[in-house]
Amino acid sequence: MNAIETKNLTKKFKDKIAVNAINLNIKQGELFALLGTNGAGKTTTIKMLSGLILPTSGSIKIDNMDMKKDVFKIKEILNVSPQETAIAQNLTVKENLEFMAGVYEIKDKEQKINELIKLFKLDEVLNKKAKTLSGGTMRKVSIAISLINDPKILFLDEPTLGLDVIARKELWKVINSLKGKITIILTTHYMEEAESLSDRIGIMANGNLVDIGTSKELIKKTKTKNFEDAFISIATGGKLYEND
Amino acid sequence: MRMINFAKRNFKELIRDPLSLVFEIILPLFLLFIFQQFDIPADNYKLENFTPSIILFGFSFITLFSATLISKDRTSSFLIRLGTSPMKSSDFILGYILSLLPIVLIQNILFFLVAIMMGLEFSINILLTILVSMVISILFISLGILIGSLVSEKGTGGLGSIIVQLVCFTSGMYFPKEVMGDIFIVICKILPFEACLNIIQGTLHNDYSNLSLTHIIVFLIYFITILLLSIIVFKKRMVSDNK
Repeated sequence: MNAIETKNLTKKFKDKIAVNAINLNIKQGELFALLGTNGAGKTTTIKMLSGLILPTSGSIKIDNMDMKKDVFKIKEILNVSPQETAIAQNLTVKENLEFMAGVYEIKDKEQKINELIKLFKLDEVLNKKAKTLSGGTMRKVSIAISLINDPKILFLDEPTLGLDVIARKELWKVINSLKGKITIILTTHYMEEAESLSDRIGIMANGNLVDIGTSKELIKKTKTKNFEDAFISIATGGKLYEND
Repeated sequence: MRMINFAKRNFKELIRDPLSLVFEIILPLFLLFIFQQFDIPADNYKLENFTPSIILFGFSFITLFSATLISKDRTSSFLIRLGTSPMKSSDFILGYILSLLPIVLIQNILFFLVAIMMGLEFSINILLTILVSMVISILFISLGILIGSLVSEKGTGGLGSIIVQLVCFTSGMYFPKEVMGDIFIVICKILPFEACLNIIQGTLHNDYSNLSLTHIIVFLIYFITILLLSIIVFKKRMVSDNK
C-alpha cells in the first residue's frame, strides 16, 4: 500500500514553476530520499506533502486521505523535522518535548518522552535550555521531537546538515532503526547519506522529478562508476560530463 | 487544549527573557516611583492619574515584546514545524493573546501595590480597573501580533519604539494635549491611546466626565480593526512565509 501518492503535483510562484507535475508513489515503511541541486524543488515538494502550503494544481493522497479534504487528519499522522533547527529556544529539552506532546495531544506523554530520551540519549541535556545546546544536540532534539506523535510519515529535511562525522553517524543509526516502521522522506545534499540510508531515491532538477530508482539502478542506468556521478549525470542531464 | 499548551510555551519564552521583564515591569515601576518623589504641580502626575498612565505605558512594551516573539517564531523554523501540526490558526492567535494576559495581570497588581504603598487609597475600583485594563491590553497584544506578522525581528524594535513614543506623547500621560496646539489635539483624538487612558482613569476614579462618546467609538474601532487585521495578516503570513 502507498503511504504517499501524488498526481501531477504542481506549484507555481507567480510565473516561476517550482514543482512541475510530479507523479510520485512512496510505499508504506519505505525510506525515500529526495535529491536535487539547490532550487530543484525538494523543499517546496516537502512543504506541499506536509500540508504547509497548497499546491497550485494536482493532488496529494497521504495514507489514502486527500490532502484537500482531510488536511487536519493527515497532520495528526505525519511530522516534519525542518531544515533549520525548530525548537523553542528559551525552553529546556524536556519542556520542548512536553510542549510538542501537548501539540499532538499525546495520551501517554511521559512514556513517549522517556522513550525518546532513551533513543536519542538526551538524559544529560534534559534540563538545559535549547539555546545553550551545541548544533548537533539541537538537531538531535529537533528530530526526537518529530517522533513525538509516532508519525506514520516522517519528513526529514537535510537532517545531518552541519553535523560532524560522529554526530552524523549517530543520527544515521537512529534513522536506520526507524526504517520499515515508518515511511521516511529524506532530503539531503550528502550522496553517501542517500545511498546508505534509502530504499529508493528520487532526483529532482528544475522542479521536475527526473528519475527514480535504487542507487544501484541509477548507477547502472547512467553507466557511471558511483552514485555521486550518477546523480550529477541525471541532475544535469549529462551536460557536466559532455566535455570530459 | 492546544491553545493553552501554546500559551504556556509563549509565557515561558517571554518570562525568561530578562529584557522583557525589565521593560514591561521594572521600568514602569521605576517611573511610577521616581515621578512621585518630585512635587510636580500638574494633575497628570498625581498618583491616582499617573498609575493608570503607567499601566498604559507598560502595555506599549507588551506590544513591543509580543511583536518580537512572533517575529522570532516566524523567522526561525519553529512556526514551520507547528504549521505542519494539527494546530489551527485560532490556536495560534489565542495562544499568543492568552500567554500575555498573565503578564498584564502581574503588571497591574505590582503597579497598584506600589501605588498603594505610596499613598493611593485602596478601593474596589482598583479591581474593576484591573479588569478593564486587561480588556484594553488585548488591543496592544493584537497590535504586537500585527507588527510581528508584518516585519522582521529588527523591524519590531523600530515599530515597537514608535508605539512606546506614541503612547507617551498622545495619551496625555505626561502633559495635557492642549499645550501642543490644535493639530496635536486632533492626532490625540484620532489615535486610541488617549481614549485608553481616559477609560482606565475613569474606571479608577469612578468618574467618567473626561470620557466622551468619541473616545469609546475610537477605542472600539481600533480594538475590532486591529484584532481582525492581526488575525488576517498572521494567517496570511503563515502561508506566505512558507513559500
